[in-house]
Amino acid sequence: MRILGLLAALAGLIVLPLVSTGYVVYLANLLLTFTVLCLGMHIVIGEAGQFSLAQAAFFGIGIYTSGLANTAFGWPFPLSVLASGLVAALVGLCIGTLALRMRDIYLALATFAFGEAMQWVFLSWTSVTGGPNGLRIPPATLFGLEIVSDRQAYPVVLAITLLMIWATVLIARSRLGRAFRAVRESEVAALAMGVPVRTTKLVAFALSAFFAGVAGAMFAIYSTYIHPDSLGFQTTILVLTMVVVGGLGSISGAIGGAIVFGLISELLRQAPSYQEIIYGLILIIFMMFAPRGLFAFIGDNLKRFARA
Amino acid sequence: MDLQLALLFLQQGVASGLVVGSVYALLALAIVIIFRTSEVPNFAQGEMLMAAGYVALYLFVFRAMPVWAAIPMTIVVAFAGAALFRRVVLTQVAHASGSPVNLVIATLGLSYVLKGLVRQTGFGDTPRSFPALVSTDSIMIGQASVTRLDLAILGTAVIVMAAFFWMFGYTKLGRAMRSVGMNPKAAQLVGVNLNRIHTTIWGLSGAISAIAALLISPKLLMTADMGSVVTLGFAAAIVGGFASLPGAVVGGFIIGIVEQLVGLFVSSRAITLAPFLAIMLVLILRPQGLFGGRVVIKKV
Repeated sequence: MRILGLLAALAGLIVLPLVSTGYVVYLANLLLTFTVLCLGMHIVIGEAGQFSLAQAAFFGIGIYTSGLANTAFGWPFPLSVLASGLVAALVGLCIGTLALRMRDIYLALATFAFGEAMQWVFLSWTSVTGGPNGLRIPPATLFGLEIVSDRQAYPVVLAITLLMIWATVLIARSRLGRAFRAVRESEVAALAMGVPVRTTKLVAFALSAFFAGVAGAMFAIYSTYIHPDSLGFQTTILVLTMVVVGGLGSISGAIGGAIVFGLISELLRQAPSYQEIIYGLILIIFMMFAPRGLFAFIGDNLKRFARA
Repeated sequence: MDLQLALLFLQQGVASGLVVGSVYALLALAIVIIFRTSEVPNFAQGEMLMAAGYVALYLFVFRAMPVWAAIPMTIVVAFAGAALFRRVVLTQVAHASGSPVNLVIATLGLSYVLKGLVRQTGFGDTPRSFPALVSTDSIMIGQASVTRLDLAILGTAVIVMAAFFWMFGYTKLGRAMRSVGMNPKAAQLVGVNLNRIHTTIWGLSGAISAIAALLISPKLLMTADMGSVVTLGFAAAIVGGFASLPGAVVGGFIIGIVEQLVGLFVSSRAITLAPFLAIMLVLILRPQGLFGGRVVIKKV
């Protein structure tokens, strides 16, 4: 049953560009990018119970690394995707090593300040980012072919997304995934079982940065323009809201949240002045009444309804 | 740069650093009292300050209320709002799931709601200036020039901090607050009403943010984004060790002075980077902060 559902979803995703308009394909690319961002956020918050508030900054690092790799070095994009992820992870590793020395929440505070600092860097480092004028992203190349349209980019973006989902599942089922959850539930108990607590947190944070970096490279494949304004705290909150709507701590929740709330946020672009209130209210209300996310909330209530 | 100029910059930097630092110290104090009692870093602290600033602006400028009524009313509104958030929202969040991560997410939600609300009212559309209540004539102290307003800011902040320290250290309420921070279960056993203490602390934290807002608003243009000053409050709290009240105050003054000196000696554009660099520097050199002891892992 579950396999069938997955296959149906996959088939739908594959035929999507054949039957839809350009805008839908663009939106699909965007949602897949946000799916990867959400998976990164899921690993650090949902699995390991740590806070990273710099998802947008790592996303930006990924975008600019990939842009630089395309123009300056002319790398084929699989290499630049990997490079984007690695650069983001490396930066994450540096911050995480320092921030996790004392209290857990220092990671939240350090990444919060890092996000603001990076936005300033993106705005000021004109030779790489174009500064306040934004950056025209050069087209990515694969085997000498240039990817110029959303439709051409879609299969690539979809493939990377599936790869990242697969990696997330693999991590969750591995020894490392169990260590993440052990640290989340009780540090003392995890320590007693021989889990290196600080290293585990650090790995979770670096992985989430890696995912965000890869998402940045994905964005650079189909998008042609990036402005530092869209790499601020707002984007981090958007990703957090997606993960919260989908349900903290579940992979399907992170994916579902990215798609459901991604569509909602696309609609909300019509009313930008209400965006902040709506995001904030969603965060508060979900934490109050549906901490396990929209899907679990609906499921629980259906069960209760069936029983009554 | 010759010595004469460097000396002038140094004096000016320290003088203006003490003034803005006193506001960061208040903000750090507001953050740390909440963290000490509930282990939650309040990410809405900056927006609480911003919202209180706009309440004051509304009462004072748009309603033309006299100063003696507008200021207490702003503080009362901030106290009530913060206490209500703790009482209604956070109690329910803690009830729905025990994870501290969820409480932090709720404070992030509050920060966005407040920012959005201020923008909705229309006051937040354009930068506004808050009228100074004290004259801005400058006085020379040594070679540094400060205004009467600056002195009033520093003086008020110091008085508020002293009053708070007296309350925290020497009254029954303060003792109850400290006991909740040390061991909530034991505090409850000896008759401390946990809910009431948490609510009061959030209220006080809101009130302190409101005072900080009243002090800093005349010195900068008010926008809905002015809450980002909280990064400096966080940095100050980290400098002080995050759980120490005197540490938060000293941290606030240090961050203020460093910020001003960086602005004078390096570049005013580099100020945006200052909080992040300060946090990283503390984490490299003295991760426990100036006044922080060892962090004890809570037992299961």
